[in-house]
Amino acid sequence: MLWQTMMTFLISTPSRVAKSMPLFLKQLSSKPAWLCWLILGLGVWAAATMGAVTMTGQDWLAPLQQDGEPLSGSAYVLWHLRLPRILFAVLVGGALALSGALTQGLFRNPLADPGLLGVTSGAACAAALTIVLLSGSGIEIPSALRYWLLPATAFAGAVTVCFILDSVARWLTADSIAGLLLTGIALNALAAAVIGLCTYLATDEQLRNLSFWTLGSLAGANWTLTGVLLLALIMVFCYLRRLTHVMNALALGEAAAAHVGVNVRALRIRVIMLVALLCGFAVAWCGMIGFIGLVAPHIVRLLIGPDQRRLAPLAMLVGAILLLLADTAARTIAIPAEIPVGIFTALLGAPFFLVLLARMRRGV
Amino acid sequence: MSSLNNLPVQLLALNRATVLLGKRQFGPFTLSIRPGEQVAILGPSGAGKSTLLKLLARELAVAGGQAEFEQRSLHEWPLPELSRRRALLPQSHEVAFGLPVELVIGLGRVARTLDPHLNNIVQQAAEHACAQHLLGRRFDTLSGGEKARVHMARVFAQLWDAEQGLLLVDEPLAALDPGLQFELMDAMKTFASQRGHAIVSILHDINQALQSFGRLILIKHGSLVGDYQTAHVTLPLLEALYEVRLSSAMTDEGQMIVAPSLKQTLAA
Repeated sequence: MLWQTMMTFLISTPSRVAKSMPLFLKQLSSKPAWLCWLILGLGVWAAATMGAVTMTGQDWLAPLQQDGEPLSGSAYVLWHLRLPRILFAVLVGGALALSGALTQGLFRNPLADPGLLGVTSGAACAAALTIVLLSGSGIEIPSALRYWLLPATAFAGAVTVCFILDSVARWLTADSIAGLLLTGIALNALAAAVIGLCTYLATDEQLRNLSFWTLGSLAGANWTLTGVLLLALIMVFCYLRRLTHVMNALALGEAAAAHVGVNVRALRIRVIMLVALLCGFAVAWCGMIGFIGLVAPHIVRLLIGPDQRRLAPLAMLVGAILLLLADTAARTIAIPAEIPVGIFTALLGAPFFLVLLARMRRGV
Repeated sequence: MSSLNNLPVQLLALNRATVLLGKRQFGPFTLSIRPGEQVAILGPSGAGKSTLLKLLARELAVAGGQAEFEQRSLHEWPLPELSRRRALLPQSHEVAFGLPVELVIGLGRVARTLDPHLNNIVQQAAEHACAQHLLGRRFDTLSGGEKARVHMARVFAQLWDAEQGLLLVDEPLAALDPGLQFELMDAMKTFASQRGHAIVSILHDINQALQSFGRLILIKHGSLVGDYQTAHVTLPLLEALYEVRLSSAMTDEGQMIVAPSLKQTLAA
């Protein structure tokens, strides 16, 4: 069943990309989306000018002027360090926000978030185990493969946690977010324990890697990762067209969704695979960056309402803005040192979560 | 309508179908519903009315026996195809996230990949369910009665362009005031008879069943204890079903209405 869904997903994706292009453009050119694009554009420009090295207008044009010579100085910083990182932050923010929007739709609850539910820590846990066990066993891994090995294991960890959550959610009384969040706490604790064990076993060099997982950082960005993530996001986005429409039906509850003709089981598996994919990629390359998946969809829901078809694309834009701002702050506040961005998102996101809880209690 | 001649005689047929809920077995149920029929399911609380309805709706799997919809095993139907032929109106029902009303109504047609007349149908379905004034509002701000209308409109939208389908209804009007009950029941019956849909509805109100439905199915202790044309239903049958003394009277139109008989209950 699972395998079948994965295969249909892979096979049908290219044709869907072709068919849904107009919609792809339509959703991202609505009025609120234009506003987001504007803010995002300004944010990218501001982020590029901020940092330890000051940029001049010359640096932006440097690749055009230098005939084949490698870039140097501040132009190098701009084109090889800062810009890939900025775009990477934008894409990761989009991916995290989308995974949050999908998780909330799946569990019919605005408080569901891959971080709170333990999906990201599951992914980080799997990645940490890979780092420690592989180098512990002395197997030499080509660095080209390492890019893909960590996302793959992180994805596996995220999928595992998602399916545990999904079966727990069905086993608990319907729509019990308390049960779901408690399960998330248990899974988070378990993952933290395993990561802690890895820390204990790790060598000094591995330790630096591990703290990177647990705090989250975009310092590993480069053009290759950015390009891969962009492609993945475009494919996922086009696939969303039909998926988000059907996901609206989940808001009716599982039984009623089935009555209006939705194959709920297949839909759940698809959504879980997508969430795990997005979280797996994000965690493998940037570690655990929390709360974007919670905050971004919520802001969008306040702005344009809860229709998943409009929510998902806009949440991606808002998530991109949020993570870009957080990462720029993380980069520039303590120059030349750099604060892990996960600390910033948690500082902003955790109070936001509490406000959300209070609002839910008042029934707003 | 050229296909009228070769339409199945039976829309839905159960043949010794049973359901397992935990360790409790319901059934075996043997019954058939013909196109356009209007059937009420009656029985005391906990008798298994909802279970039977869920079986008919394919929400619960058949543990033994057969359940067929249009001569094809219910579980062989692809869900999207089935959803164009039969709809279920739930008892009362929350919708997560406060979706807008027109989206909730449109969700009745979510299984159609191409649906060019969606907006038009949503409008008409809302009008038909007396819910047009609710369009544009958020579902979670509605009152109980308004939510019932929106769900009814959603079910109408689902079967709007179908013919000879099946409308399953789970005590739709229990919590509503009498005037609205009448209005919505009327809207539902008009909707169904215009398109030849059959209605199978769980009801708590015996009189509503007697007045509005042609056939009554009686459920008790998890099995079918009676299946009658309404004209043949007698007072003792109903008394045995609910284990309560009833008195009856005739309306001016010659229809039986019943009420629990207080005197005899006290005497007993």
